[in-house]
Amino acid sequence: MKGLAPLFLGIFGTFAFSWVGLTLVPNWQIGHLNPQSDEEGTDFYPQPQSGMFERGARVYVANGCVYCHSEQVRPDYAGADIERGWGNRRSAPRDYIFERQVLLGKMRMGQDLANIGARVPAEQASPSPVGAAAPAGSPAGGTSPAAPPAPQGAAPPASPAAKQSPSSSPPAQAGSPAPGGSPSGATSPAAVAASPATSPGSSPPTAAAPAGSQTGVGPPWPIQTVGEPPMYSAAWQHVHLYSPRSINVDSNMPSYRFLYEKRRIRDQRSADALKLTGRDAPPEGWEIVPTYDAKCLVAYMMALNQSHPLKDVRSVSGAPAAPAGAASPAPSPAPAK
Amino acid sequence: MNATATGIPLKEPAVSAVAGDTEQLERAYIDASTRVPVLMFYTSAMAWLILGTLLAGFVSFKLHEPDLLSNVSFLTWGRVRPAHMNVMVYGWASMAGMGTAIWLMARLCRTVLRYPLLLVAGACFWNLGVFLGVCGILLGDSTGYQWLEFPRYAAIILFVAYTLVASWAVLMFRYRRGEQIYITQWYLLGAFLWFPWLYAAGQLMLFAVPVQGVLQTAVGWWFANNLLFLWFGAIALGTAYYMIPKVIGRPVYSYHLATIGFWTYALFSSWTGMQRLIDGPFPAWMITASIAATILTMIPVATVGLNHHMTMQGYFPLMRYSPTLRFTVFGAMSYTVFSVVGLLISLRSVASYVNFTQASIAYSHLGLYAFFTMVIFGSMYYIVPRLVGREWRYASLIKLHFWASAYGIGLMTLMLLAGGFSQGLSMENPTLAFSESVETVLPYLRGRSLAGLLLTASHFIFAYHFGLMLLGLGRTSTVPTFLNPVEAETSGGH
Repeated sequence: MKGLAPLFLGIFGTFAFSWVGLTLVPNWQIGHLNPQSDEEGTDFYPQPQSGMFERGARVYVANGCVYCHSEQVRPDYAGADIERGWGNRRSAPRDYIFERQVLLGKMRMGQDLANIGARVPAEQASPSPVGAAAPAGSPAGGTSPAAPPAPQGAAPPASPAAKQSPSSSPPAQAGSPAPGGSPSGATSPAAVAASPATSPGSSPPTAAAPAGSQTGVGPPWPIQTVGEPPMYSAAWQHVHLYSPRSINVDSNMPSYRFLYEKRRIRDQRSADALKLTGRDAPPEGWEIVPTYDAKCLVAYMMALNQSHPLKDVRSVSGAPAAPAGAASPAPSPAPAK
Repeated sequence: MNATATGIPLKEPAVSAVAGDTEQLERAYIDASTRVPVLMFYTSAMAWLILGTLLAGFVSFKLHEPDLLSNVSFLTWGRVRPAHMNVMVYGWASMAGMGTAIWLMARLCRTVLRYPLLLVAGACFWNLGVFLGVCGILLGDSTGYQWLEFPRYAAIILFVAYTLVASWAVLMFRYRRGEQIYITQWYLLGAFLWFPWLYAAGQLMLFAVPVQGVLQTAVGWWFANNLLFLWFGAIALGTAYYMIPKVIGRPVYSYHLATIGFWTYALFSSWTGMQRLIDGPFPAWMITASIAATILTMIPVATVGLNHHMTMQGYFPLMRYSPTLRFTVFGAMSYTVFSVVGLLISLRSVASYVNFTQASIAYSHLGLYAFFTMVIFGSMYYIVPRLVGREWRYASLIKLHFWASAYGIGLMTLMLLAGGFSQGLSMENPTLAFSESVETVLPYLRGRSLAGLLLTASHFIFAYHFGLMLLGLGRTSTVPTFLNPVEAETSGGH
């Protein structure tokens, strides 16, 4: 080849073609999506995320969760994501518009988390005795280090309120009444953890509302153990992060103990102390409590929820076994009811 | 098998003392001028290679032994993994690649290296950037985008360092002698110009003015893919186009094929990347376009492969003797394997099984190691003796290095591909619990750790040998170090 000019132009041109084609054009096409709403201009989805959510996402990134967990549900013709109960519809670009950093992921050494917040199981709470659920639930419920955690007995009654609090801020959730479920304290940690109101560190007025949570429930993995907090509840997430193999012996997830603090019990056990058994249990007189980062991480996960129907995406009816007791969001054509 | 080692310019001495051979003298003169900057890049690269290897071993073992040192935040798997990747990508591969590219530029522009201070400063800043970046990742400042994990403060330093190197490359072009621009220079000029654009576009669209929603992921994979093809791939192909003809003393088979290969490579491989997002929340055309581009990359693969093959035709037995040739040809062949595997895992029917499995790790390793790193090893075996004025000391160490690397990367690829497929098969079978898919892949991951041990051994051997060369402990000889004694086997035609 002779002369630099054609070489230069070619090198420049081919790359410009790719840059425009694969980044600028898509940005023009789907780079400015807005939330959808119903005819009355209510029921906005998705909604802006809380400050805890964003900090949680940073913790998620900092510790490389994305290298093993994806946050996307593939359509039913490709892969078994929906059959696994990882969602009731495929993920769509609109689901992610409010996330400061989108973490779709490329690897599944662990489960998909796109709907992990939707899996907080209402019906799971009933089989587990109140004695087990309530203390487990309340510790995580006290997300804020400042706000004194509710005493155990208060957890179940607090639940409906907590459930409502995020959805009541914008006009949004009118269409999706707090799911009929949540009969017990089991869901409360989820909602509370996701609610920015309880956190001093979070300011945004709107909340990560786990809209119509009770849709996707996966196959029974890991198996709910008696005495453990209800699966996928915030308290469960903390125990799982602290000691994954105490919940599933085959798990190869690393433990994230450095996100937890071991401290001496003063007066009485903190409400948000982890309920650990066996080898993981701290010595007498000590307790394990989540740091603020751990709480944000769990709040982040609890807010991952794509179960709200999208107009341009078909939700799969029935497939992910909507729990019998759980009401589906009103406008949803999806889960068979 | 008409080729024997006699009568083939295999033995071109590193530093010629033959008076009257002006061309050789000129080359020696140019080589000497590249000495300090190129060795600086190479030495830093070797240090990063060793660090990256240790991190890799740690990552690999932790994946099946999750409790290993997991209580320390900066040693958690999710931090060490990106640290390993970025040390390898920016510390080892980029620095070694730049070292080779600088040397090739000086040789092909047929002029002594000018403005060496630009390069020295570039190497210093680059090292600083990688160091800060890795510390940042381990301390929890990772950005979370594949191969862009370095926090912003490190990225800016890297970019400054890069600007110094690239402006040197452009300056060198002004001083070049001769009108002809050789194939290698196309690729190198391409790499030097694509990288800053790519890196800047990635940084801007992800961090400075982030695009909305899922487009971040698209930009991230567009970046990672193009980094693999247009930066590493281009440097490696350019190097192979120089080394193969040089060692066997024969011109490239077809200049015309090379032109087709280069332009189709630039055009099609830059459009790949979105196939990694198959079935994700994106407009279908983006993914389909990238799948189509991936299929079209078979054109450059075929033309480049054919060109190298025809150049080598009849000269393959020389791989018995020349370390450079052996490594380079291995790398060039891996380019084909890498592309074919990339094509297979991009097809929709296959991708629905392997999309979220270890198979994509196999793909990255094929590209970055079996292809790029092997070519660069080959070039280092050629270049380093010309910089230090000594020949490699032990043929046995070179052989060990080659076989440990070749078997290591071969085993690793097989393990990750096979593991990925079986992981995918279990994952897409909803009657199996999810944890089954993890258990399925664990034995393969242990096999991968074993392969990693081989690679670790090979890197330590090479680093030791390289260290001897740096210390001036190589052989003083006018004959390069051959893998097997040439004289003994000249007439055999083995």
